[in-house]
Amino acid sequence: MNWSDKAYFCIAVTIYGIGMVYSIFLWRKGFRRDDWAVYGLLGIGLVFHTLAMALRGFSLNQCPITNLYEATAFIMWTIVAGYLVVGVWQRFRFVGAFASPLLFALGVFALFPDMDPKVDHDYSGALSSLHKALLLLSFGGFGLSAVGAAMYLTQENDLKLHKFRAILSKLPSLERLEAAMAKLLWVAFGLLTAGLIVSTAYLHEEKGVWFTADPEMLWVLGVWIFYLVLLVLQTRHVQSGKRFAWGALGSFLFVMLTFWGVYLLSPLHQSAAS
Amino acid sequence: MPIVCLGLNHRTASVDVREQFAMAEGQLPELLEQLCKTTEATEAVILSTCNRVEIYAVTDGQPPELLDAMRDFLLDGREVEENVFYEKIGTDSVEHLFKVASGLDSMVLGETEILGQLKAAYQLALEHKRTGGQLNKAFQKAFNTAKKIRTETQIQRGSVSIANVAVELAGKIFDRLQDRTVMVIGAGDTSEKAARALLSRGAKSVIVSNRSFDRAEHLANELGGKAVQFDDWESEFAHIDIIISSTSAPHYVLDRKKLEPLQRLRRHRPLLLVDIAVPRDIEPEVNFLEDVYLYNIDDLQAIADDYLRLREEEIAKCEAIIRAKVKELFVLLNGSPVSCRENPTRRAAGESPAVSPATS
Repeated sequence: MNWSDKAYFCIAVTIYGIGMVYSIFLWRKGFRRDDWAVYGLLGIGLVFHTLAMALRGFSLNQCPITNLYEATAFIMWTIVAGYLVVGVWQRFRFVGAFASPLLFALGVFALFPDMDPKVDHDYSGALSSLHKALLLLSFGGFGLSAVGAAMYLTQENDLKLHKFRAILSKLPSLERLEAAMAKLLWVAFGLLTAGLIVSTAYLHEEKGVWFTADPEMLWVLGVWIFYLVLLVLQTRHVQSGKRFAWGALGSFLFVMLTFWGVYLLSPLHQSAAS
Repeated sequence: MPIVCLGLNHRTASVDVREQFAMAEGQLPELLEQLCKTTEATEAVILSTCNRVEIYAVTDGQPPELLDAMRDFLLDGREVEENVFYEKIGTDSVEHLFKVASGLDSMVLGETEILGQLKAAYQLALEHKRTGGQLNKAFQKAFNTAKKIRTETQIQRGSVSIANVAVELAGKIFDRLQDRTVMVIGAGDTSEKAARALLSRGAKSVIVSNRSFDRAEHLANELGGKAVQFDDWESEFAHIDIIISSTSAPHYVLDRKKLEPLQRLRRHRPLLLVDIAVPRDIEPEVNFLEDVYLYNIDDLQAIADDYLRLREEEIAKCEAIIRAKVKELFVLLNGSPVSCRENPTRRAAGESPAVSPATS
């Protein structure tokens, strides 16, 4: 059987979709059961997802993050892999139930037509792959933190409205969720910072400048500042709890909704891909 | 060789009757020996707790005769009403044993203490060589069934007491209770119970405030906490994570206007407010403040009722598990289930129909 990487990716997205359907069932049941089913489904999905990325990587002979399809697949992969690690702890297993709808939506988005153009690679090398990998890993981390934020908001809403399922559910306590969100954001922020530094070094290597007013570069800088402000406010208890959760969720949605547009507007990246 | 059961419990006998039949643990070996000598029982286990006295036995002879002999043995000259005892034979007795082990026949539905008591009773009979193949298999299966029910159903989840609901709520908000401080405003009975429950789960300390300072001091001493003057309770607010309020004040003790600046003082840490006073002590509006979770007596009662409903829903699942396990046991014993003795007057007394949660 000689399946293409896209076929494996489609299987992975389908499995994430099944996970999403099962998550609706879990949600309706009030997150009472131990969530091994979603954990298992996402684990199987990750196998196909990894296969898809590995095949693409071997065919390109470099890290497979050369276009929007690959970038989105990379972010998804980071989210699933991160979940499988935190999901080892029973209390965090329900992250999968919240992550699977996001993964399915991102997967469908990645499979849109024109998302996967064949590109000529003018730029290659360690710094090229590294800066993209670091940035996309950080987006995956932000995504996982946004999933934690969705859990927090669900739990908080149930507690405020005195819903019985707030007590019955196996979701972690609000404090633990907030701590997990903050830790994930710090890790992702660290990766984003490293990504920005490597990007600057790469730009200098290729163009001889440290900074250029490229839309994507400005956008990444803006995202970096936004997350920095969010984390500082949380640390200083100015914006904690529910506001912090909305911040983490809203920021990630902003990143996901604008990422592709900025990428397409970026002369720096479009010239690299042409 | 059928397994039979004779007993009385909180449903069939009042406490003044039950206390007449209660057996001290030290007496049990002797009583077991006596039972096996004076009746046709070849194996026997005696279970004696505050809510039940039961004898499980096996005989080579006729089960009805053994049951009569066991009844005489238990009565031992005492005079009680006929219908305080229940009798079960064959599948009924095994099914009853499994229900007892799983807490389905307990006063508080799904409680687990009875399993430990049953294990101790069995262990004692085993050590004194009063059990054999039948009871050993039946009791092992009963323990196994209780474990399965505990892990596969929600019969043991949750609490029907307001104090424990407050503890569960705290567990959903705070990561751990170990470094939490509880404040009790108004030293009422329910708030004392809730504070005790929180302390037993590891809450760091308790502060008691009451109109009568003597009463506050007394309760604080009992709980190992600190008493503060009623007019000064706000001064402690920065360290408080959980407030249990139950004063008899005719107005709000805590309102939104008062709480808003205090929350800033607490750096917006989550705050659980449990208002069990009627009329209410805490203005409902405070629930609209961020990081504040207010539950009044009706909210807590609704949760406790939901728990009860949930447990009732789980009963059907538990009974299905028990039926399957009883079948397994009889296959293991290589015998077909023995039908019950027809004795409606006696049996009706102890029958526990589709176990309902006890209310007393």
